[in-house]
Amino acid sequence: MTPQGHPAPGPPDSQTILRWKEVRTGVRATRVLNSGGSGGAWDAGAEAEAMAALGAAARALALQGRSGGLRACLPRPCWPHAPGRESHLWATALLSLRAALPVRGEPLRKKKKVDPRKEQAAKDRLKKKIKKLEKVSQELIPIEDFITPVKYLQEERQRPEPEVPFEVSERRTLLMKKWTLYKQQEAEAEQKKIRSMLEAQQEALRELRQESELLYQAAIRRDDSLFPFEKEGPTYTPATPGYQAPEGKYNDVTKVYVQVVHKR
Amino acid sequence: MAAPMRKMLHGTARSLECPWRLRTLCAAATAAPAAAATPGKSAASPNGGSPWRLLGALCLQRPPVISQPLSPLQVEMAELLEQIEVEKSRYSDHEIRALEEAQRLERKKADIYDSDDDDEKDILLVQDLEDTWEQKFLQFKPEPRVTEADKKNDQTSLHRKLDQNLVLLVKEKLGDQETWMLPYAEWQVGETLRGTAERALATLSQNSVEAKFLGNAPCGYYKFKFPQAFRTENSIGAKVFFFKALLQSGNLSQARKKNDHAWVSKEELGDYLKPKYLAQQAFI
Repeated sequence: MTPQGHPAPGPPDSQTILRWKEVRTGVRATRVLNSGGSGGAWDAGAEAEAMAALGAAARALALQGRSGGLRACLPRPCWPHAPGRESHLWATALLSLRAALPVRGEPLRKKKKVDPRKEQAAKDRLKKKIKKLEKVSQELIPIEDFITPVKYLQEERQRPEPEVPFEVSERRTLLMKKWTLYKQQEAEAEQKKIRSMLEAQQEALRELRQESELLYQAAIRRDDSLFPFEKEGPTYTPATPGYQAPEGKYNDVTKVYVQVVHKR
Repeated sequence: MAAPMRKMLHGTARSLECPWRLRTLCAAATAAPAAAATPGKSAASPNGGSPWRLLGALCLQRPPVISQPLSPLQVEMAELLEQIEVEKSRYSDHEIRALEEAQRLERKKADIYDSDDDDEKDILLVQDLEDTWEQKFLQFKPEPRVTEADKKNDQTSLHRKLDQNLVLLVKEKLGDQETWMLPYAEWQVGETLRGTAERALATLSQNSVEAKFLGNAPCGYYKFKFPQAFRTENSIGAKVFFFKALLQSGNLSQARKKNDHAWVSKEELGDYLKPKYLAQQAFI
């Protein structure tokens, strides 16, 4: 809206109108702001203009320095000082006042309820992505035995190829075959033994059930004190009573890996 | 309740084809039926009407302490596997050092310039190291695998036959005959059968023996009928339920007399137990 045809909020004076023409952009900005406030459409471009205009007004005010403040805003028909300065001061002071208040075209837009939900949804998606990444990158503890150290793969470490004569290789193959047979028999014997022991136990339980149901129930109850069951296995020679192992210092350089369990 | 027990086992022996003298049996039976049978009768049918008496027996085993010797096939196979492993392996640091020193020695013998090679690198040769290790190993004297008890064949000792399972057997006197069997105790109302077995162990060893029972369930049972003289309306025979336990510490020698108990390996069980009784011991 041009300042020429639009009545000012102050007393409509020809002089004031003239003065306003000088501060055209700034006033136009305020006009626009006002019209916007009454319910008109708000333009991003117009807003920028208004901002620029306000900025200009502020600068003009700063340059000229405030004098009189509010009193200067009140338009008087006859003022002894130079009208330009006065008008500048008055207009820019008015502008600065308006700038001080939150003058936007619309009333303040409240944050709608959908926004926090959208934000929450976005956060959840992010979290899911992080979780996926974490799942994939779970570090497994390396098994030292399966990793050949590089120094053992060098050339000079290789043994010369053993020349195995025919008889020796034949003997070896035959021995391996005998061994497989032996192991098979051993496994079968073990299975048989286990089966017979289980059968004996089942028979005993059946007989016990015939005797008394109460005792049977007590017998088939799980024994919690049995596990964890620890027992040292047999050694090659029996333990010497009162044997003291030789003392010695050693540096334990085993690497201890800690597997990080990613918590939800 | 010991007396009726013994008589029952009398009956066992009889049913197991042992020559039995009814007279002694009846005499023994009539001698103390007033004393023993009445408590037996008064405690009639503790199993809720079933005619069988319940006994809990204990199969206490001493697990092996040393590994069993390898059979010839196993020895051969072990050697072969070692050979193959060495063939497929790479040189270790120790071996490389040995090779280098061998080379150096050859050069020393062949040529005469030792001055530059012969730094104070290895005053200690690999050979010396190996010798010292050998010496140290020979200084250590391990315990022999065949113990004294083996040589003496002392049945009550726990150090006999270290590579096998030993089972505890006790000798029960039955009238004029003694039978070897696994220790047992009569079941009392209010305890589980495992409790009975534990009680048997406690009474036998006077709490000097620690054993780990393997579960609540019995591992075998043995059923026998009393001879005709002993059968009452309520007890035709008895069922013995065996529970397995592993010996952890302690020995019976303090508690019992010398010849009453024995630690016996599986092969020797046949020497001690009656055949029918033995047949049921499939679980040992």
